[in-house]
Amino acid sequence: MNTATIASMEHSMFTLSGTTLAATGAQTVNAALLVSALLFAIGLVGFLSRRNMIIMFLCTELMFQASALALIAFGKVHHDLSGQVFVIFILTVAAAEAALALGLVVLLYRRRETLDSEAWSELRETA
Amino acid sequence: MTENLSSDRTQPVTTHHMSSPPSLTLVLLEAASGLSPAVQLTIAAAICAAGLAMLMQPEGRKLRIAGTVLGLAGFAMLFVEVLKRASPAGADTGLPPVFPVVFGFLALAGAVRMITHPRPVFAALYFILVVIATAGMFLLLGAEFMAFSLVIVYAGAILITYMFVLMLAQQSPVAGVGDAWYDRMPREAISAVIVGFVMLATLSDAYFSQKSQDLRNETLVRTEPTGTAEAWARLDQMPKLLLETARKADASIASVESLDAKTGTVSARTADGAPVQVVLGADDLPDNGRQVGVDLVSKFPAGLEIAGVVLLMALFGAVILARKQIELGEDERRGLAGMRRLTVEGEAGGAAGGAR
Repeated sequence: MNTATIASMEHSMFTLSGTTLAATGAQTVNAALLVSALLFAIGLVGFLSRRNMIIMFLCTELMFQASALALIAFGKVHHDLSGQVFVIFILTVAAAEAALALGLVVLLYRRRETLDSEAWSELRETA
Repeated sequence: MTENLSSDRTQPVTTHHMSSPPSLTLVLLEAASGLSPAVQLTIAAAICAAGLAMLMQPEGRKLRIAGTVLGLAGFAMLFVEVLKRASPAGADTGLPPVFPVVFGFLALAGAVRMITHPRPVFAALYFILVVIATAGMFLLLGAEFMAFSLVIVYAGAILITYMFVLMLAQQSPVAGVGDAWYDRMPREAISAVIVGFVMLATLSDAYFSQKSQDLRNETLVRTEPTGTAEAWARLDQMPKLLLETARKADASIASVESLDAKTGTVSARTADGAPVQVVLGADDLPDNGRQVGVDLVSKFPAGLEIAGVVLLMALFGAVILARKQIELGEDERRGLAGMRRLTVEGEAGGAAGGAR
């Protein structure tokens, strides 16, 4: 049993068979999915907790990044390039969003002379 | 027997990862090893969240160091949890995945520093680190084109825009106090971290339950031949490249007749008209950039057009939003709209003009 395990380990170490490649592929995919989930969560926390409007939009970019990573990882699972094509569209949307959001931020900054999002808190519903 | 083997197989991977993070992970892993995977993942996510919450506190160096340690331990525990069940049943992974883990830690460290750094410019720089680490992950996943375009578009274009706006709108640090207070003080840090933790726990339970991991592994192995066949089919859509590739295999080929997508066999003719058959190898597959390009224009032509329109609209929108606003009185606006100017004396006449 023990020698068999060692032998199989040696086998996989020295001859990269198809299943071994699939196994490392699976580990890469799982690591990528984990990183994407964590990046999305961190981006969400940042968006909720930062006051600087520019950093808030930077956090949305972080969430875009996370979803792009998930798309590419799932594309790898299905051996389908559509995932990568969708990332091109994500890049497009991110670029458009950055242009518009930053234009808005500059506009808001001109009105109140601060980047603090609390300066606009009268827009919220009063409790 | 297989059960036994698989439990043996996980050992080297686990010990490898335990050696690098602090010993706290070791203790936690020991305590958590008896629990079900979902509970373990939730605990690991909770540790991450606690570390993040401590890191976000503005004061207290010791608290932040403890937060760093706790956050690293949580990340390491999540990685170990996920990776030890990652490989398909029956496959033996002798090599631990060094690069995905390294890039993953770089990306996560950059992201955490980005949302905790009090200076916005540094936060943007840390975001570039995240982008580069993610591009590394893309490379490992075989998406070379997207990796490079990510670095070019994000780090090269979008982040530069952010930098410019930061420099336009950033308040200079106040002497003696430091950075602006709204950059130092997080808003509702604890609630934000709780929201993030709930999302992470839900996501990781959906992504990394034993069932979905097994399903993913099975799909990964099953779709490999289909993926190759699709790649050959894409090569078939590029006649010029196909001819070039076939010529590389056999220089006497003058024209290509067909390509069998299942086997990668090219039926061709030489200059005299004699039929030739060449079997192409995996090295002859078109590279990732060409394949993505063919996929983009053949599968999503409408999406491509709409993306162009979206970018154009964003350009117009940004120009209109960001130009200098001149405050006009009501009278000037009436004049611009082609209506008769109001005067203070002739208010009644102006009202009649508006009704007209």
